[in-house]
Amino acid sequence: MFHSRWLRQVTVMACLGLTAPALAHDDSLDIVAPWEINSPNPSRAGHVFLRMQVAETLTDTDRKGRLSPGLATDWQVSEDQLTWRFAIRQGVQFHDGTELTAALAADALQRAASRPGMLDQVPIAAIEGRGNDVVIVLDSPYALLPALLAHSSTQILAPASFGADGQALQVIGTGPYAVTSLQTPQRLAVTRFDAYWGEPAAIEHASYLAAPRGETRALMAQSGDADIVYTLDPASRLRLERTANVVLFAEPIPRTVAIKVNAAHPALAEREARQALSQAIDRRGIATGILRTPDAAANQLFPPALTAWHQPGLAEQRHDLEAARETLAALGWQRNAQGMLERDGQPFALTLTTFADRPELPIVATVLQDQWRQLGIDVSVNVGNASEIPAGHHDGSLDLGLMARNFGLVPDPLATLREDFGPQGGDWGAMNWSDPQLTELLETLSQTSLPPEQRQTHIAEAATLLSQAMPVIPVAWYVQTAAVTQQVEGFSIDPLERSYRLSDLRWSDT
Amino acid sequence: MSQAIVRLLVSRLLQAGLVAWAVGTLTFLLTRALPGDMAYRIAAGRYGYENVDRDAAQAVASELNLDSHPLSAYAHWLGDLLQGKLGHSLVSGEPVWQELGHQLGHSLDLALTAVVLALLIGPPLGMLAGLRRGKALDKASLVAATGLRSLPPFVIGLLLIMLFSVTLGWLPAAGHGTAAHLWLPALSLALGLAAVSARVSRNAMARVASAPFYAFAMTKGLSPQRTFWRHGLRNVGVPVVAYLGVQLIYLIEGVVVVESLFAWPGIGHALVHALVARDVPMVQGTALAMGLLFVALNTLVDLACLAIDPRRRPA
Amino acid sequence: MTTFTLTPRWLARRPNARYMGLVLLVLLLLFAWLTPWLFPADPARQNLLHTLATPSLSEPLGTDHLGRSQLARLASAIRLSIGLALLSVLSAAIPGVLLGVAAGWRGDWLDRGLGLVADCVLAMPGLLLVFMLAAMAPGQFWSLYVGIALVLWVEYFRVVRAATRSLVTSPQLQASRLLGFGKVYLFRRHLWPELAPSVLTLAAFGAANAVLAVAALGFVSIGLRPPTAELGLMMTELLPYYQEAPWVLLQPIAAVFLLVLSFQLLAGRDPR
Repeated sequence: MFHSRWLRQVTVMACLGLTAPALAHDDSLDIVAPWEINSPNPSRAGHVFLRMQVAETLTDTDRKGRLSPGLATDWQVSEDQLTWRFAIRQGVQFHDGTELTAALAADALQRAASRPGMLDQVPIAAIEGRGNDVVIVLDSPYALLPALLAHSSTQILAPASFGADGQALQVIGTGPYAVTSLQTPQRLAVTRFDAYWGEPAAIEHASYLAAPRGETRALMAQSGDADIVYTLDPASRLRLERTANVVLFAEPIPRTVAIKVNAAHPALAEREARQALSQAIDRRGIATGILRTPDAAANQLFPPALTAWHQPGLAEQRHDLEAARETLAALGWQRNAQGMLERDGQPFALTLTTFADRPELPIVATVLQDQWRQLGIDVSVNVGNASEIPAGHHDGSLDLGLMARNFGLVPDPLATLREDFGPQGGDWGAMNWSDPQLTELLETLSQTSLPPEQRQTHIAEAATLLSQAMPVIPVAWYVQTAAVTQQVEGFSIDPLERSYRLSDLRWSDT
Repeated sequence: MSQAIVRLLVSRLLQAGLVAWAVGTLTFLLTRALPGDMAYRIAAGRYGYENVDRDAAQAVASELNLDSHPLSAYAHWLGDLLQGKLGHSLVSGEPVWQELGHQLGHSLDLALTAVVLALLIGPPLGMLAGLRRGKALDKASLVAATGLRSLPPFVIGLLLIMLFSVTLGWLPAAGHGTAAHLWLPALSLALGLAAVSARVSRNAMARVASAPFYAFAMTKGLSPQRTFWRHGLRNVGVPVVAYLGVQLIYLIEGVVVVESLFAWPGIGHALVHALVARDVPMVQGTALAMGLLFVALNTLVDLACLAIDPRRRPA
Repeated sequence: MTTFTLTPRWLARRPNARYMGLVLLVLLLLFAWLTPWLFPADPARQNLLHTLATPSLSEPLGTDHLGRSQLARLASAIRLSIGLALLSVLSAAIPGVLLGVAAGWRGDWLDRGLGLVADCVLAMPGLLLVFMLAAMAPGQFWSLYVGIALVLWVEYFRVVRAATRSLVTSPQLQASRLLGFGKVYLFRRHLWPELAPSVLTLAAFGAANAVLAVAALGFVSIGLRPPTAELGLMMTELLPYYQEAPWVLLQPIAAVFLLVLSFQLLAGRDPR
């Protein structure tokens, strides 16, 4: 017909528009990870700026996870263990051109100490800059201080980063990359900082995009839309292994999938009840069927990567439903007509809270729900936001929380353990549970530098205590994964998750 | 301004007020219904989880009148809303207004692109089908339209991702920043919209083409093209635009789910995020923005109908 | 009575498409409700050693990523979707029609009051309302149901009110009224036969929308909680496995498609 030519042209044009080539490679290295950038404040989202190598800390870690010099070249403690001196590296510039001095570093640390964060647990009396040194005076000995100063909340930012009220407005650090744009909570773009004190980076531009959905991240890796994608779900991992142009990396890291237990809950107060819950978990099934890493089944809280804390002799946590049933029966739990457990007319009903930022957690939660249901426990799964677990800890509303706890936040896991298992428990640790003996062990370990054998016996004692009382039930050890485009060379995963090691990377020549 | 326009604007303004009230009431109920201590929740958002203690929670409770009678707390809540005090996000700590500003722009980009795409795909196909009633194209477009409308936008999105980004590798699957990122989410929405506008314009075209005035125009000597331009297009345009108003619901609802599928940083993504995170101030802000956007777009459609259809204008 | 003949008028108007929809719906109903009888399996029972199995005699639709029976889950999810859709359609239609008749008949303050409430609901996109209600009681069946019914009743109300307004002034109804017949008789004799076709069309569209809303809620993980089998939630859960086990992911997608298609064909008009 007559005007159909015109119509056909329009249709063809509309269709042609869709095929426009879209994926021309730009020169920016695009990194995708699940974590949103909540704020420019080091205490809230410092880990992102540390990982993107925008900001640096006084102490750093080497390839083996040992403490190494960062913005401080050297440190010493006085005879009485109360005064620490950190020699500040000379010739370091912030991204705005300001020179790093001991006084500025001391200011930054003071700011960090006044905010919630790892430094809370340090008995600090004073922080000041003296000459080229930052001097930290303590009220009581604290041997972990250098390790703590590697934590992201203690990163050293330029004074211009902060507004009049002390809140960070932008992030001006000293790292090999400087921020060019920051759109909270999703995107961060950085450019190489040419006046960096150390080895300069090879790649000029990089960006960070937060994509909380696991499928989205995997698809971005697969389609080549992202160059490096962190934290892949097991199914996508398998798929990406078969994808051309993408190389898959996996690295065991000191992070454990564990269940936080409210020990004040009437059904969970007895140690035996917590052990019965643990016995009913088919860890091997979870590791093989869900995580697809058979070695990930956790028989203790501390993964093998934490050599000092991992107890090599410990037997596998057996999946033994019968034993679990007997234990609960001995505690007075009876099966009712529906086959569910009851005690004094109260059903054994719990809510398991978890979050979807780590894609395997909701799946593991669903598995636990079914495994505990076979025991006669009615579990409802609540998949929400990661912040619900600390919130539930504080307002007492949490029953069980499934989480993935990182013991490598600070190069020495002791600092994290003190946070988690202190007398008041911790956001990501014990809830309404404490043990004076454990508290004392952790105190002794963190305050003084003990001789190695003595330190080791203390550690073994503490680890055994934790695995018997089960204030936190270990489920699986974590393997960090990343999908990397073949166009990038020099990639490695930092087991401590402190850095994306961008400055090691190069574009491949091919 | 004519009377019709004034009446229209007044009634839409009233509707905007109703939206604000309904959103405020629902979010107020949401705060009451959520498990756990509200004061703790808000305090945690303000000061960070590590800093929350009983004092901080108490301060929040007294400031927000959380402990008072539910009715007076409700009045206080609506009062804040009326003054535009939307508060800070519990998750990011940023002011809700500021976050909405960014997100609204992204959502509008997506929605407008989807509408334009739908208009480029749907009506031309529909008019073609309308001029060839009963032929293969007509039948095929009926089947395609029925099929597309039976698939929710997120399923269309899933299928598009699998086709265009995974199998063919033409378009990025998710993210934002470049124009290429816009294609798939916009197309996921556009296909459903196009299905309807194709059918609407097909029916309108069929009606117009068989109308006596259309045949008369040709008999009086106008060329087929001129007949189409002068008599066809305008008569098809009115129902298509009017149907856009009906489809706005589909568009806005689609935006919510499609944005979360594609990690598109718009208002729908933010709403879903806030609901999952139980970030009440953000829920209120995003729901309010979406509701008001809906009213505003409806108003625009009404005005457009008045403009192209002289019969609706009072003499 | 014209409404209860074998071939209702609304079905006769566009028979082919409507019969197709009806047949499709009946097949889905049979599948959903007969499966548990013929194939009793617990949709929540896992078998981690037997995940993503291909269809076999013992598992005709294969298993999902946790080794759960896909057949049992799919049947259970369709039961949930249809049940929820029918329940919310019914509980929206009854008050919607009655209030619509009342408002159209009485007019005046009742009309204006109810009209305001309806405007209030219509001023917001329905899914937004459903999302917020669902978030209030996460994982609860009733919050989905209340949300969907609350959105759906308005359509009936508006259509019925408009129709009633013109019908009330019709000479036939005025005549019956003068003869002294009661209101219930007037409704059954004069109003319902005129209203029924649009109400049934609305009901079919409403059911389709309810299915879509539940799936959308499940897809963004606001709706029901695991281990409930729900079509949208199943899609989200199975999405990562689409290359490994595409047949599993396609099942909930096909189920949503067929359900919505059957309701839309049943509605008998071009899709809206």
